[in-house]
Amino acid sequence: MQRYDYLKMIAGDAGDALVVAAGWAAREWQVLRPGDGNFRPRTLGLASSISLGIALGLPHRKVIAIDGDGAFLMNLCGLPTIAWQNPRNLIHLLFDNQCYEASGATETATVAGTDAVALVKGAGCKHACWVKSPEKFRQEFLKAWKRNELSFIAAKVEQGQPALPPIRVDELENKYRFIRHIEETEKRAILGPSDHRRG
Amino acid sequence: MMDAKKAAENIVEGLKQVGIDFVATLPDLKLVEVIKVIDEDPDIKHVPLCREEEGVGICAGAYLTGKKTALLMQNAGLLNSCNGLTTTCLQFQIPILLLIYYAGDLGDRGFATLGSVTEPVLDGLGIRTYILRKMDEVAETLRGAQILAEDSRRPVAVLLTKSVLGVK
Repeated sequence: MQRYDYLKMIAGDAGDALVVAAGWAAREWQVLRPGDGNFRPRTLGLASSISLGIALGLPHRKVIAIDGDGAFLMNLCGLPTIAWQNPRNLIHLLFDNQCYEASGATETATVAGTDAVALVKGAGCKHACWVKSPEKFRQEFLKAWKRNELSFIAAKVEQGQPALPPIRVDELENKYRFIRHIEETEKRAILGPSDHRRG
Repeated sequence: MMDAKKAAENIVEGLKQVGIDFVATLPDLKLVEVIKVIDEDPDIKHVPLCREEEGVGICAGAYLTGKKTALLMQNAGLLNSCNGLTTTCLQFQIPILLLIYYAGDLGDRGFATLGSVTEPVLDGLGIRTYILRKMDEVAETLRGAQILAEDSRRPVAVLLTKSVLGVK
């Protein structure tokens, strides 16, 4: 099973959640749940931290972080920070293919047994589990959604993804669309008029 | 010289006047009083960090929801944050007010190497930088730096020295 097989199980359940995913996962998610509530970071490791910032800024809104094992390992020190803040509205997903797939598929440390769920639990997050099938993944995702507490769900996946079109939106457009989406759905202004006119 | 607590209150008041309501921090001994004041302020969301670069991501995420953010750290933390500053803040044009304790500044023992690379790194990142040395310039400089950050949609750095922190 590949990441896409898992993601498609929850695309219909994600509602108006704000979703942060990078790389190929972002492309897959954009196909599965198109829209402007998807933010696509470019810094390896920071998806989970950006998600935390969004979750703290909009505590009533569901936020989903989608990590790969390379990104997850890059930002292990973000895990205690997330657990310390303990945002009820954040669901952190990890798809562990045991390699840096986008960078040539050399192995990551998870190939030797580094256990992401143990790390997350050790960091202080109460609700963290491995799932072994897309069906189980959906069950755990729905439980996490309903639980409304910080949750982490991880799955071992095979490399690879379906052929998908590239996203024709650059970083700036992604940022502005994401903010405008929040403005529209939250019914409040975030970006003001041009600053020089603010007085 | 003002004592450290009053100096800290002066800095935090300056941040609040310009609307900062979200601050991520990682301590230096010289920043402890500022962090305490931030932590106790009901108008500021305080996020203590384990490593500074995650703070770049956290502040960036908060900015997307309408927060005005600052990242308070020592200059070693600036070095830890360079990729995030580049590929999140600069690439997406996301402002953060960087409040950086200038270890290794003129007369500061033990951190000369760190001090020597601080301004060149900021310059290399294209981040406009202001050094705060006088207590009576704190409010005006913080205000100006935040306006620049919002207006340019980039991080702006303010280097905090011992004299504005009320420490020796």
